[in-house]
Amino acid sequence: MNFLDRFRDGWRTYRKPGYYDGYDYHWAMTIDLDRCTGCEACVTACQAENNLPIVGERELARGREIRWIRIERYWEGEYPNVKLGFIPLLCQHCDQAPCETVCPVAATYHNPDGLNAQVYNRCIGTRSCAVYCPYEVRYFNYYDHRWDPPLEQQLNPDVSVRGKGVMEKCTFCIQRIRQAKDTAKDEGERRVRDGEVQPACVQTCPTRALTFGDSNDPDSAVSRKMADPRGYKVLEELNAHPSVVYLKKVKAGDAG
Amino acid sequence: MSVSIVPTLRVLKPTFLIVGGGLAGLVLGYWVNVLFFPGLTPTQPIEFSHKIHAGDNEIPCQYCHIYARRSTSAGVPSVAKCVGCHENVAADKPQIRLVMNYWNNQEPIPWVKVHDLPDFVHFPHKRHVAAEIECQTCHGPVETMEVVTRIAPLQMGWCLECHRAENVVHGTDCWTCHK
Amino acid sequence: MANIDRRDFLKLIGAGGVGAGAGFLLADSIKHPVEHLIPYPVPPEEYSPGIVTWYNSVCGMCSAGCGISVRIREGRAKKIEGNPLHPVSQGALCALGQAGLQVLYNPDRITGPLQVSGERGAGTFAELTWDDALRSAAGRLAPLVESGRGDRVWMLSSGGGGHLGRLQREFMDALGSQNLVRYDFAHPQTLYAANRRFFGEDALPYYDLKNCDYLLSFGADYLGTWISPVLHSLGFGHSRQGTEGSRGRFVQIEPRLSLTGASADEWIPARPGTEGLLALGLAHQLVAGGAYEGPDADAWNATLASYGSARVAAETGVPEDTVKRLADAFAHHHSALAIGGGAAASHRNGVDTLVAVNALNYLAGNIGKPGGLVFNPAPAAGGSPGQEGYRGALALIEAAGRSEVEVLILSDANPLYSLPAAAGFEAALQQIPLVLSLSSFMDETTARADLILPSHTYLESWGDDFPEPGVGFPVGAVSQPVVAPLYNTRASGDTLLALAQQSGALLPWASMEERVKDGWRAIHARGSWEDEPELQDFDGFWTALLESGVWGETAHREHTGFSPAPEVIDGIGMPSAEFSGAAQSYPFVLHPYLSQTFNDGRGANLPWMQELADPMTAVVYGCWVEVNPKTAARLGLSEGDVVEVASPHGQIRAPVFVYPAIMPDVVAMPIGQGHTEYGRYAKGRGANPIQILTPEMEPESGALAWAGTRVQLTKTGERAKLVHTGGESRQLGRNIIQTEGAGDVTHAGGPAIPIKVVPS
Repeated sequence: MNFLDRFRDGWRTYRKPGYYDGYDYHWAMTIDLDRCTGCEACVTACQAENNLPIVGERELARGREIRWIRIERYWEGEYPNVKLGFIPLLCQHCDQAPCETVCPVAATYHNPDGLNAQVYNRCIGTRSCAVYCPYEVRYFNYYDHRWDPPLEQQLNPDVSVRGKGVMEKCTFCIQRIRQAKDTAKDEGERRVRDGEVQPACVQTCPTRALTFGDSNDPDSAVSRKMADPRGYKVLEELNAHPSVVYLKKVKAGDAG
Repeated sequence: MSVSIVPTLRVLKPTFLIVGGGLAGLVLGYWVNVLFFPGLTPTQPIEFSHKIHAGDNEIPCQYCHIYARRSTSAGVPSVAKCVGCHENVAADKPQIRLVMNYWNNQEPIPWVKVHDLPDFVHFPHKRHVAAEIECQTCHGPVETMEVVTRIAPLQMGWCLECHRAENVVHGTDCWTCHK
Repeated sequence: MANIDRRDFLKLIGAGGVGAGAGFLLADSIKHPVEHLIPYPVPPEEYSPGIVTWYNSVCGMCSAGCGISVRIREGRAKKIEGNPLHPVSQGALCALGQAGLQVLYNPDRITGPLQVSGERGAGTFAELTWDDALRSAAGRLAPLVESGRGDRVWMLSSGGGGHLGRLQREFMDALGSQNLVRYDFAHPQTLYAANRRFFGEDALPYYDLKNCDYLLSFGADYLGTWISPVLHSLGFGHSRQGTEGSRGRFVQIEPRLSLTGASADEWIPARPGTEGLLALGLAHQLVAGGAYEGPDADAWNATLASYGSARVAAETGVPEDTVKRLADAFAHHHSALAIGGGAAASHRNGVDTLVAVNALNYLAGNIGKPGGLVFNPAPAAGGSPGQEGYRGALALIEAAGRSEVEVLILSDANPLYSLPAAAGFEAALQQIPLVLSLSSFMDETTARADLILPSHTYLESWGDDFPEPGVGFPVGAVSQPVVAPLYNTRASGDTLLALAQQSGALLPWASMEERVKDGWRAIHARGSWEDEPELQDFDGFWTALLESGVWGETAHREHTGFSPAPEVIDGIGMPSAEFSGAAQSYPFVLHPYLSQTFNDGRGANLPWMQELADPMTAVVYGCWVEVNPKTAARLGLSEGDVVEVASPHGQIRAPVFVYPAIMPDVVAMPIGQGHTEYGRYAKGRGANPIQILTPEMEPESGALAWAGTRVQLTKTGERAKLVHTGGESRQLGRNIIQTEGAGDVTHAGGPAIPIKVVPS
């Protein structure tokens, strides 16, 4: 087998849906749109947990926001029959992630837990991944951001502070997953229990719209929710196989 | 018609000499620094000897570096810890007097880090201690060192060599160590 | 190169030497910088580098009193989570609560006592020591106390819950002054008054959203800013999808779609000030339709006779069949609940509106039932702290005008921002010889103070809170310092105690910690601890309390057959809301609303909150006027056009945001921006709608009638860019948010993007 064949072969196996099922964990999330109220507690929780920079009004005006989880809002209809829908969007940790295939330096890759990983010190800032991402959840550091002292004292030491020229995105709070695995290992090489690890957004959500867990474990809360008939994946037709499953908003009838 | 470049060269000769000499010097200076002054053995504020403590007196590493077993960082002993022994032991030695000075002023001792990892690396001492890796594997024969010097390159390749050799679970996954 | 002369040789050597030096330095400069390992001289208890400790405390960002757990590493606060043991927050937390860390680590905190130097209000201050500052303040208080003129001291507070609130009262009592004024713009004062009138209870009930299956909200933004948003959100989530086979239905009645309205199943715009009329209309349908069969049905019939659906529909602007449908649904759902608040409760008929809402609950028979409203046993630390509110603030302004206020102490209050300009506080301030501020930040009023005794933030101080309404049983939580104080500040309780001591007004406690502990001794004494011997001793109880951060009594109150007195039923009625400004010259009703990100303006100095997109408009760092699309088209306004919003009491400027979900004759503005002080992130940004509000009050409760102002809009010709985050505001057929259910998806998004086929 020559190099090219080997490459193609490996690629196909790796890109097959369910490839990660054999691994210990496959982290996944469900977001219940019928519960979500768009209150944005998750957004601030993420900003606090993951050292997201304060970008400033001028940069935001140029579309340079950095927000690993954000709320998109879509209006529907005209006054007085007008509705507003909210949807939290974060990295979908696709099993067939378009961003991974494009990175020229393999700074983004899929890890054995089914996570779409970004290695900051390897990233050279071509921004190709952001272009390839259909969910627009990758954010680029146009500047070295600064925190007015003493705001920097809040920075989480378990998360890198990203510098200029680096792409960043949601990690499903890898530092928390790592910590949970560490504890599990201490306690006799057991598995991480369901609910033991929660990303910042899930932990803070006031309506409990977000559920996180291991989809390889059929009894986990997230697996059960993923099986909900309301479940769908955003832009599923693109075949990226996201690990985030949304539960449809229920539209109540006019009666009642 | 042909023009000799020799006269031009002759005019430019001093410039060549200066630029060439300068460049050669630059390379030499750089090389000398990297090779002979690698900064593996920084000067510490107190001439603390690991040889006396860990070697001659056989004090276990974790007697002073108490967090290594349960935290990411091994920690350096508090000034109180030093004083705990040295109130009585060798209290008249000049270096111990220096420690006492810090203690009396309730100031920390500004030790210089010998083993420093970049901020984007997650290295838990805890996991390595739990895996029963000897401290010396990475830190070298500290018990023989008067002044601690770094023997390991602390580069990613060096980490991975061991992770591969020991078949660490997910030991080559980037996110195991990169945060 | 045969012959290098001496001159050239020296040049070569020289250049080489310089080069070598440069090379050496170059190599040095790209080396890893020297890092130090700094040990503690003596390590604090429970300290391990790299290991997290959690401390439980109470959130101080609004008055809901959520329990929090703060993650501490290396002595620094890194993250705030909800305390999972606390029954109000249950482990969850809102955005503002998350941003509490930026209160603690805010770069614009006042770092030590300050005394005005030069003219007051010029913004120049000189630092001084605590001893000097306290002596200076006590030097003014002591003569007043001695001569029995302590009532010339006034205190304006936002109404701290728990024992800080009590201590404020005790401090004023010790000085011999009755003049403690608690004023919080967001305080549901009209709701207290309505409950007093209808239920005879000076308290807020617990609204059991969790178990209700039909909720009618009259203007209350219960998921965003109203009373206890986290608790309500938890209930909302559970009611929506928490139980198999049942899904709560939520209806929101308000002139401008709020965050809560967007999450509700149905939004019904009703004319501002007519919400109570609609409630009575529904009550009428209930009673007249025979759904209510109580013994006092006749009395209700009589009092509600004039609220027929035709009249209600005509006055509220809600279609008659909608009125009937709502009444029908309210009567036939198992646990239907009605709540009222926000702008609907802040008209000059606010209390009447809320009494009408209470009546609706009574007629639906949900008082004291699961899924209804439940009154709690009295909180452990006495009854509700209450508020003197706007009426109290006016009394202060009047007293100052009569030169009867010698000293004003500001505790966590910023009246220059949160009172309408027309109330006249600014002029009153000039009449007060000594203004003391205990604020942590240089807000508008603190900048006009004579002496600033800066307080710790809530993450550095002792305190406690007894959240009202709680959860059906009394709950208390202790707030403990989670980090060492950052600056030379003091907890405001400690400052008050020190001031009292030095002014000769003795209080029995040496510190706030003792005051809190003392209060909890009484609570401890209430309980019986036979089953838990380790809690029998107060110290054991206290340790357990600090560990869990919360305490609760499993005492429920039995609701046995409440029925309102005949005169209460008789007195139910609905005066029409009055507005300041004639409809001809001021064609729009101004609908100010508490901002989801800044609350009543207190969050504006937090960069995370400034950067957080407004949930409805996605605007960051901004302030805007929301105008209905049709109205905007009529006035020739588009987004970014700066308009002058003028009421009879003043005018402000802000850019227009064309808002699809607001009534055509209403304009809305978020409260929160428009600070002239308050630190680098807040200062000089946008406008404050409170400034132009009418200074009228709701007569029964004494609350500010902040929803009763009419305005006119004038195009200035200027443009201002509103900064948005996020993408397209319509789905454009991408079907990103998918829906399912009874009323099938008829128009999910607009038309699909047409794909043009280019002929070859």
